[in-house]
Formats: sequence, structure tokens, C-alpha cells
Amino acid sequence: MTTTLAAPPDRVRAAPAARRRKLSTNTSAWLWLAPALILFALFKFVPMARAISMSFQEVRPYLGDRWVGLDNYRTVLGDEAFRAAAGHTVVLALGETLGSIVVGLALALLLEGTARHLWFVRTVVFLPTVTAMAVVAALWRILYYPAPDGALNSVLGWIGLGPGQYLDSPHTSLWSVMAVGIWRGAPYDMMIFIAGLAGVDRTLYEAAAADGAGPLRRLWHVAFPAMRAVFGIVLTLAAIRGLRVFTEIFLLTNGGPNGSTEVVMTLVYKLGLERNELGVASAGSMLLLVATVGLTLLAQLLRRRS
Amino acid sequence: MTGRRVLAMAVTAAVAAGCLVACGGDDSAGSDAKAELQIWVRKPPGSNTEKTDQQLAAAFTAKTGVPTKVTALFDDFETKLQQAAAQKRLPDIVINDTDRLGGLVKQGLVREVDRQSIAGQADLTPASWSAATGADGKIYGVPFSAQSFALFLRKDWREKLGLPVPKSWADLDALAKAFTTGDPDGNGKADTYGYVVPASTKRGYTSWYFASFLFSAGGDFLTGTTGKLTPAIDSPQALAATTEFQKQFCTDKSVVPGSVTAETTQAHPLFETGKGGIYLTGPYNMARFDKNLGKEKYEVVALPPGPGGTSVSLAEGENVYLMAGSANPEGQNRFATYAVSPEGQTLGMAGDTDGNVVRLPVNSKVDMAAVRKDTRWQLFAGIYQNGARYVPVVPDWTPFRQSSADTLNALVADCSQDPKAALAELAKTFSDELTKQGAKG
Repeated sequence: MTTTLAAPPDRVRAAPAARRRKLSTNTSAWLWLAPALILFALFKFVPMARAISMSFQEVRPYLGDRWVGLDNYRTVLGDEAFRAAAGHTVVLALGETLGSIVVGLALALLLEGTARHLWFVRTVVFLPTVTAMAVVAALWRILYYPAPDGALNSVLGWIGLGPGQYLDSPHTSLWSVMAVGIWRGAPYDMMIFIAGLAGVDRTLYEAAAADGAGPLRRLWHVAFPAMRAVFGIVLTLAAIRGLRVFTEIFLLTNGGPNGSTEVVMTLVYKLGLERNELGVASAGSMLLLVATVGLTLLAQLLRRRS
Repeated sequence: MTGRRVLAMAVTAAVAAGCLVACGGDDSAGSDAKAELQIWVRKPPGSNTEKTDQQLAAAFTAKTGVPTKVTALFDDFETKLQQAAAQKRLPDIVINDTDRLGGLVKQGLVREVDRQSIAGQADLTPASWSAATGADGKIYGVPFSAQSFALFLRKDWREKLGLPVPKSWADLDALAKAFTTGDPDGNGKADTYGYVVPASTKRGYTSWYFASFLFSAGGDFLTGTTGKLTPAIDSPQALAATTEFQKQFCTDKSVVPGSVTAETTQAHPLFETGKGGIYLTGPYNMARFDKNLGKEKYEVVALPPGPGGTSVSLAEGENVYLMAGSANPEGQNRFATYAVSPEGQTLGMAGDTDGNVVRLPVNSKVDMAAVRKDTRWQLFAGIYQNGARYVPVVPDWTPFRQSSADTLNALVADCSQDPKAALAELAKTFSDELTKQGAKG
């Protein structure tokens, strides 16, 4: 038997043409992508690269930056306030993630369906997510007003409790901020869960019901397994949102009282823009970026394994 | 097919090229004495104070022919300035607080001012020039406005309760407690309080508020001469002031609830809506409170003497900063000269209106009484002249203000904290910061 490695003559002629076509298609695709890539480069990648370089320098825009190596990282990691802020960030991220998922799922189960009035109710429930954070913060500051005649305290007073200090006590401030985060984040998760629930094959519910499964068992053994991917997405998004929490803290407490709500982002903001330590702030940002990327990769890994 | 592909390529190339052109920046900058001056002021956009700044700039342009553009920013002013600095596109002029000088110098964002290049410089008060002087003895700004602080008291409440104007801190505390428990607004509810305090750590507000009490107790943040400073925040006098401050929150409970997370924009309404009746603040709030509360309902008095036996207000103000990298340094000098001239200062005072950007004039040739008929301004002028004190001169005051604000906020937020131990810890922080800034004695 003899074999030949030579391609048929017509294929030999066709190969350069195919390559040209592929090259042309690729070039066209890249050119169409170019505007987005340029914008990304200008507003994401270049600033990110600059932040990495700043984290190794003492930043003085008009006097010239000074190379300080890992000093900024040592300063950040050796700073008790940063470690406390990292702890608060983790607690807040965990609390807001789990709280938003539980409440979001409960809302999704309540509001899933095709009835026409549900569209209106879902829109109303979704409003906190699309309302500007400044408005949300102002509203919650009023609700949380810590005097006996405050809105929440008046309600507590009816049942003989309170008055609570909420944002004004270092013992309750983190939980109070977390409640606002959950209130705002849960409807977002709800929408994703509703989309997930809509994708579950209805015949499976019917089959399970025929087998005698009640509502809870149908939920546990049919709906949840079918929504595994949705849980993965919600968990990842909520965790990243929790780690990068800034606006609600900045507007509600600015990290106080007594540093009880200080998180990494607010500390980085203060270091960089209030105390002019841009290099140290960049190092803190890099550590947060590493944590966020690590968390995302971990979530992806767990999702693939499952 | 080939023709279509060529057309597609041509279109995509055109789109990409168009974007590249659109995305491209113009870094060219003028370098002549007629280049437009970008002026940033820390004033709320749309406010009457912004309008006064606009008028000041317009009058300057009319007089000199140098074009100007005023930008008013209030929230996160320093953040926006940092962003401009990072892009090396600073405005030419910034009018901002005197105590920002150190931070601006440290980063090289302001240029040194040759005092002799400012016509009429000898007419400016020596105290105001010292507020424009850096830790190295060089001048990095031109004084523009000065101010002191006084107590705003609900006169109608005080008279209803039959109490006198406080002459001591004990009187003041008694008044605060009466405002809290005596139902001074007569509505039958326990919904009024004594002190209004912006005790948030944002921008170091707690420290800013506390400074006048600290000075009046005979204490200070630091002691020694410039360049040879040591912490004084753990002195017995500072402890007395701090203990008093904590007592108001924790023992007397005479401070409006919500104060530990309140900044000034949240604190002002607490006074003008009748939540609290005692507020230590600056003269710039008089026009606002006259309008929203009523001039007849409150009175302005000097802070009573503390344990130190004297009444010493924090002195503050604003400088005209000549920013680095300007294309028109001559125009910067000319603007600063105009802003501090009797004409510029008079315009900036804006009579008795709430558009004042010059609180107290820094030019001794200006007769404030001729511009303002409201005699309450004279009280603030008197407090300023009778030894109001600026914060110590260090290369960068911001870390000191922020760390002291953090400590004070902690003490009033968590009443179990020991003031003595907290101040000892703060003194150590101050000491480390002095060493870091090369200013320790």
C-alpha cells in the first residue's frame, strides 16, 4: 500500500484562497470591534495599567513619581484599618449576597407567572434597583432616624421596642447598611430568578405532581436543579457587587461611626482622594481586584464542576 | 462577492478611522498672557455664591481683558481636583480652604507665589498671609477670605424657657439640656435637642467642629514651632475638651440624634427645622438661616470661655491658589491681585446677601461696615481679630484632621471608649505623622 501526503491539486489551489477569505473575515471583524476596543483601552485597560504602576510608586503628578517598590502594599497590609475594612467587606459581601438571593428567590417564587397584573407588581418591586443610590440613601436616612419619633422607631414603639440607633451605633451600623443593600439588590436577583424559573420545563412539574410531590418537593427536586446555572450567575454577580460596595456606605455613613462600616472601597477612596496617598490607594485597589478575580474564577470553577 | 467584501472593508476602515479621530484628544495648550483662565470655586453650582464668583471673574475680565471661565463644584471638590491633576489638566486658579494648602504643596499642584508680584500685598492682614504660607516658609497662595465661628442659638426657645445667654460651658450645657427636655417649641413632644454637631468623619468634619472647643479649653492639636512640633492632643486641656464633647453625646444626650453620621449639609437643616437649638458654625449661614428659619428666631454669640478661661475660635478662610502648569502665569497673578484688591473684596462680600464669597475681608483697607449693614458680621470680625487661631502649620494638615476626626467620632459613637486612652493613641498617630512629614521637634 502506498500513501501520499500530497493534497489533491484542487485543494492545493483552494488553500490560499480560504486563508485569504479567513484573513479578510478576521480583519473585518477586528475593525468592527475596533471602536469598542479603543474605548475599552482608553477607559479600562490604560487606567488599570496606570493603577498597577501607581501601586509601586509615590504619586506626585507635578513633581515626578517616586518608585517605592512594595512599600505601598506593605503599608496597606500592615494597616489595621485596612484589615478591619477587609473584614467588614467580607461580612457585607456575604450578608448582602445571601440576603439578596434568599429575598430575591422568595420574591421570584411569589411573582413568577404569566398573569397580567404581575407585570405591574414586578415593576414596582424592581424600582429600588433602578432608583438612584443618592435617593435611596436619603430615604433610608429618614427611615433610620434614631430618635423615638423616627419612622422605623415609631413602628417599633407600637410594639414596645426601640428606639434603635441603626446607622448611628457602631454595633448596628453594618447590619443597617446591609439591610439597605439587600433591599436594593434582591429585586435584581429576583428578575434573574424569574427568567430561570420560566425556563424550567413545566411537564417536569406535572410529572412530579403526578408522582405525589408537594410544592416544596417540586421546588427542591425539580426547580432548583434546573436553575443551577442561574444560581451560579446570581451568586457570582452578587458576590462581586458585595465586594465592590461603595456608594451606599459613602452616602449613608462614610465608613462611620467609629469605622464600623468602613469597607475596602471607601478606605481606598479616602486614602487616595482625601489623604492624597494615591500610591497606597492603588495598592489597596489592586488587592481588591485580585480578590474579585479570584472569587470569579472560583465561582466559574465550582460551576463547571457541578 | 469580492467587490462586496472590499466595500465592507472600506466601510469598517472608515468607521474605525472616524472613531480614532473622534477619540483623539487635543493636547495643545496656549502659552500667552491672554489665554483663558479656568477658575474652579468650591461653591454649590447654581448658588448665589457661584453667581458672585462669576461676577468677580467678569469684572476682572472687563478690567484686564483676560478671559475667564468659572466652574463651580461642591461635592467631592478634592476628588475632581485630583482627577484633573492625574490628567495634568489642572485649572489655572482654584479658590479653596486655607487648610488644603499643605496637601496641594505636597503634590506640587500649586506654584509658589512671589508676594511682591501681587500689587497691594502689604494691605493684606499678616494673619491671612500666614494662612497662605507653607511649612517651608514659602508662600503658596494669595489670601482671599477669612472667617471665624460663633454659636447660633435659638433665641425664641431660650426666652421661652427663661434662660440667660450662656457665659460658660456649664451654662451652655444647661441650655442644651433644657432644649432637650423642656419642650421649647411647645408642641408637647420630646422632639427637640440642644447641640447640632456635624460629627461625620467625612472631610474631617468632627475635628473641624471640635477645634474651637479645644482651643477655648486651652488645648491644641500640636505644640512647638513650625518644623519642630510635638503632639499636644493628649494634654490635660485637650482631655477636658474631649471629655466635655463626649459628655454631650453620651451622658447629657443633648445632641440631635443622627449627628455622628451627619456632615454639614445634613446638619444645617437640623438647626433650621427646629430639631436642635445650638449650632457652632460660620457667618456664611446667616443669610440661609434668616431665610429658612427667620432672623428673629435666633441669635449669634461668641463661644463662652472654656476651662482655659478664654474664648478662641478656629480661624479659617480661603486662598486663591495659583495652580501648576498654567499657560498664563501672568494672568494668574493679575487675577489674584484683583481678587484681593478693595474692589474685588467688596464685590466678593456681596453686601448682606447670601452670595458672599468673601466672609471677612483680608484687605485692611476695606471697611466692612460700609458694605454690610448687618452688625452680626462685626461679631465675627471681632472674634477673628481677638485671637482666632488657624490650625498648626505642617506640610500636610489633612492626615491630622482626618485622624483626629476618626478618634472623636469613635468616642461619641461608642460611649464605652475612654477619652484619655483614645487621645494617647491619637498623640502617637500624630507623632508618627509628624515624623513622616519631617516636621517633628
